[in-house]
Amino acid sequence: MINDYHLLTAKLIIVYQIESQVCLKRKCMSRETRKIQRVASAVTAPIVGCAGLYAAWTAASWWLENPILLPPPNSVLTALVSIMQDELVGDILASLHHLGVGMSFGVTIGFALAVLATQNRLVERLVDPLIELLRPISGIAWIPLAIMMFGVGETVPIFLIAYVSVFPIYINTVAGIAGVDGRLINAAKVLGAPPSTIRWHVILPSALPMILAGFRLSLGVAWMTLIGAELIGGNSGLGWRAFWYEQFFAMNKNLAVILVVGVLGFLFDGIIRLLQARLLRWSPAQSGAAT
Amino acid sequence: MTVRARLSVLSIYGAALVVAEFAVRLSPTPDRYPSPTGVATALVRNILSGQAPIAIEQSLSRILVAFVFAAIAGSVIGVAIGRSRWLDLAFGPIINALRSIAPIALIPLAVLWFGVTGNSAVFIVCYAAIFPIILNASEAARQVDMRLVNAARTLGADPRHIITHVVLPSVAPNTITGARIAMGFAWASIVAAELAIGVKLETGGAINAGIGQLMVSTLFLDRDVNSLVGYMIVIGLIGLLIDKGFRRLHRMRAPWEYA
Repeated sequence: MINDYHLLTAKLIIVYQIESQVCLKRKCMSRETRKIQRVASAVTAPIVGCAGLYAAWTAASWWLENPILLPPPNSVLTALVSIMQDELVGDILASLHHLGVGMSFGVTIGFALAVLATQNRLVERLVDPLIELLRPISGIAWIPLAIMMFGVGETVPIFLIAYVSVFPIYINTVAGIAGVDGRLINAAKVLGAPPSTIRWHVILPSALPMILAGFRLSLGVAWMTLIGAELIGGNSGLGWRAFWYEQFFAMNKNLAVILVVGVLGFLFDGIIRLLQARLLRWSPAQSGAAT
Repeated sequence: MTVRARLSVLSIYGAALVVAEFAVRLSPTPDRYPSPTGVATALVRNILSGQAPIAIEQSLSRILVAFVFAAIAGSVIGVAIGRSRWLDLAFGPIINALRSIAPIALIPLAVLWFGVTGNSAVFIVCYAAIFPIILNASEAARQVDMRLVNAARTLGADPRHIITHVVLPSVAPNTITGARIAMGFAWASIVAAELAIGVKLETGGAINAGIGQLMVSTLFLDRDVNSLVGYMIVIGLIGLLIDKGFRRLHRMRAPWEYA
């Protein structure tokens, strides 16, 4: 027996079919199709972009017919493999050494100065104008003076990295400590917490997002400066190696080193971001940043 | 700050400068370290002789060319990838990858392409300046208030009109912030580029020498540490002025953010 229920269902099916046909005609899509298209473009678009870059690069180097001016991407990749088996590891280690030593100096100095400046008015009055005076002088501008004082060698990149990494960590730490909610400190005081507890359990955790953001900025600037310092005033490391290959017109190797520099910079930033996400899972202001 | 506090700070700085002066004069190698009076006299001498102003003018003119190019190309690319999801997906990763390459690392390549002339410095500066502009412009274009766009559309504006009269004006303040950061990068990297190119010239005093090349010749030919510090101070001051100028421009274009 056909009852009303069946009729209704049939009507609905017909209406649905008509509607979907109208929809197709007017190029409006159902939710599923739109989702599929979203996923498809998320997959295809980067591939198209990368393939376009690869094709343009290959075409340009083929048109120039000069592997020194623009080595084709394939030869850069083979150069990358060959230097990986050769000297690349030593260069990376040398650069990491400069970065590590320089940043430990710079970050320690910047952090210590910031903590002292927030504790003591006189220190603040002494350090603040000095920082504001030196900050616009980029690390790069120090290279000639550093070469003159220390001579070409390891000390130049280490000194420059220490110099440039002081500022972001100082400024962010001061801002972070100044921005701690006074009610939290007062609440801890009322509950009888001694100053050291307040320092470690109230001030440090609330300032940590800003401090880590400052560390991330320091690392970014330091990595850029490192390459310049090694290129002009160093005798080891990735920047120096890029310059060295260029002197032999081995531009495919030079570009391979540049590629490594870019990838390492990207990796460092990613590590810090992971660290931020992990250490600051509790924080509502997870990405505190100052420029 | 009270007068007394200001006096005590100044006196500590004064004492530090006097100590530095004597320490340098009494050291066995006074030529290797800068002394306060030496820096001051070197600064005045280099400015009066016209050497420093000419070099600064050269550097600034290079920056200007590179910056204009970077600003135009950067805002076009930024608005394009900010308004189109597909373009963002296709070229966003490539732009991010290129961004993480320090412009200074490209100096050897630029020297091969453009020679040891000012053009390679222009290329480096352009590369350094374009990414902050792209990032800020694309972020701003992504956040354009859709109500404004829809209102314009309802009133019958065509897409071109929407871009020029709705999207671009609301993107402008953020792009100026990007330009300020870009100009900071540009000023740092022109010094770097000129330093590196100057090292290769080994006669930094060529006709088109910028401030970086002047520093190289001061370093390797004159061995004059006081002039070097003087140039550094000049570089810092110009950087500060540029930053202040862009902040003022931003304030003019986006007064509501300062209320």
